[in-house]
Amino acid sequence: MTAKLNVLRYVLGAAMLGLWRNRTMTLGAVVTTAVMLVTLAAFLAINDTLNEMVTALGRKSNLIAYVRDDARPSRVTEIMQDLEQRPGVGEVVFVTKEDALRIFQERFFDQRDVIDILQANPLPASVELRMDDPAVLPALADELRGMTAVFESVAVPLDVVERLVSISNVSRAAGTAMIVALTAVALFVIANTIRIAVYARRQEIEIMKLVGATDWFVRGPFIIEGAFIGLVGATLAAVALVVMYLQVAPTITRIISFLPIATDVSFVRNLAVFIVLVGLVVGSVGSYVSVRRYLAV
Amino acid sequence: MIVLQNVTKVYPNGTRALDDVSLQIDEREFVFLVGPSGAGKTTLIRLINRDTSPDSGNVFVENTDVTRISRREVPKLRRRVGVIYQDYKLLPGLSVRQNVEFVLKSTGEFNGRTSRWVDEALALVQLSDRADHHPHELSGGEQQRTAIARAIVRRCPILVADEPTGNLDHATSWDTIQLLVRINALGATVLMATHNREIVDTMRRRVIEIANGKVVRDELGGGYDG
Ligand SMILES: Nc1ncnc2c1ncn2[C@@H]1O[C@H](COP(=O)(O)OP(=O)(O)OP(=O)(O)O)[C@@H](O)[C@H]1O
Ligand SMILES: [Mg+2]
Repeated sequence: MTAKLNVLRYVLGAAMLGLWRNRTMTLGAVVTTAVMLVTLAAFLAINDTLNEMVTALGRKSNLIAYVRDDARPSRVTEIMQDLEQRPGVGEVVFVTKEDALRIFQERFFDQRDVIDILQANPLPASVELRMDDPAVLPALADELRGMTAVFESVAVPLDVVERLVSISNVSRAAGTAMIVALTAVALFVIANTIRIAVYARRQEIEIMKLVGATDWFVRGPFIIEGAFIGLVGATLAAVALVVMYLQVAPTITRIISFLPIATDVSFVRNLAVFIVLVGLVVGSVGSYVSVRRYLAV
Repeated sequence: MIVLQNVTKVYPNGTRALDDVSLQIDEREFVFLVGPSGAGKTTLIRLINRDTSPDSGNVFVENTDVTRISRREVPKLRRRVGVIYQDYKLLPGLSVRQNVEFVLKSTGEFNGRTSRWVDEALALVQLSDRADHHPHELSGGEQQRTAIARAIVRRCPILVADEPTGNLDHATSWDTIQLLVRINALGATVLMATHNREIVDTMRRRVIEIANGKVVRDELGGGYDG
């Protein structure tokens, strides 16, 4: 038991001493890890925001066909029943002139009565479609545009969604590539730091092995060193992340109010915990790889 | 205790350092290992604590075939065999005392009780008053004695010394031999490689002579030459 404690004390002490002896390298590795992780966090946050925007917009109608005031209601019902049967069409909703006015009012004028100002309801009724498969939309829109007797105009707000989806795809691909590259850099820097630490202590290591130190006793300090670098780098990144969220996110939300930036506490907390774990893993793996290669134990 | 059976060791560069060597050293024996430079003495010693492995043949230490043990068992073996290296292998950054303590710290065995072992080992090699000096502040003989203290501090049942008197003057050489004899009398098996003719001739112990990687003589109470 005391032997185990002794070993633990030795391993930790040797790790701290090693970090201190190589403090310039240690600092470099910590900063690299922190930068890598801040980037990872930023990417994850941006991606999360984009995903939420896509979902939010996707929940709205994909196609709105504005009904002429003089269209026959039975004809409109017929068309709606037909649309419901079409493949790729999810939901078909009829929004009456009154509904449209109410929605408009709620959105822009709060409690004021628009009719009082406008004398009549200028808003058309509409048929709104929610799609299961947006791919059939263009053809469907053209078809409805052709029914000039029934529909005034046809709007496809999907363009925005499509653009968002492609932006978020691009951002995901670019972000993933960047994360892979940055993780590789962090792994390399940590592995290299540990390699230098191993080199600096090669004589000690040789003698330790010759007098009967176990492999883990020799490896331990280096792996702890790597894990420590990862952990400190990650903690710095997590602190930067939290500060950024507290300072920057509310400002952005105020300026661009429609951006559903994930500002809630649990998201930030999970992200911070995730970052710290990633740092720990990168640090441990980096040093383990290095120790395996350069220590032959 | 230590048994070599048909051991052959060829280094990667092709040097045949040991060629079909067989020998047996019993518990508590004191054995001199002699032979010209390059004969294979250091190689034989390195086989005993699995510092290197033979190409063929078996090496038994305390009834365990050390050529067959797993990596994980090597530390256990090395804790049973104290080695005094020909080139000392002292750590320049550590004091004499720290170099000796290092052995115990490397295995997590350093504590209040074992720190007394360090004092005793240093006293045995008469280095108590140099305990806080670093190797570069020591004479060759003092460095050698530090290496001896380090090899005996753990009180291993087997002590292997590779030319422990190589850098010592006449008087200190004899002090060292007396020390090894005492450790042997306390129960340790001692194998000592040496070029010191006077000591071997005077002590009249068992002598194993190797030349060109072969045992050419194994004589009880022998001298340096056959
Ligand atoms: N690591 C090595 N790689 C290649 N050849 C080696 C190695 N170590 C020793 N040798 C060769 O093996 C042979 C035996 O060497 P060894 O060190 O065992 O001799 P020795 O009897 O201890 O000599 P000395 O009395 O000079 O210490 C020599 O020819 C040496 O050149
Ligand atoms: Mg030799």
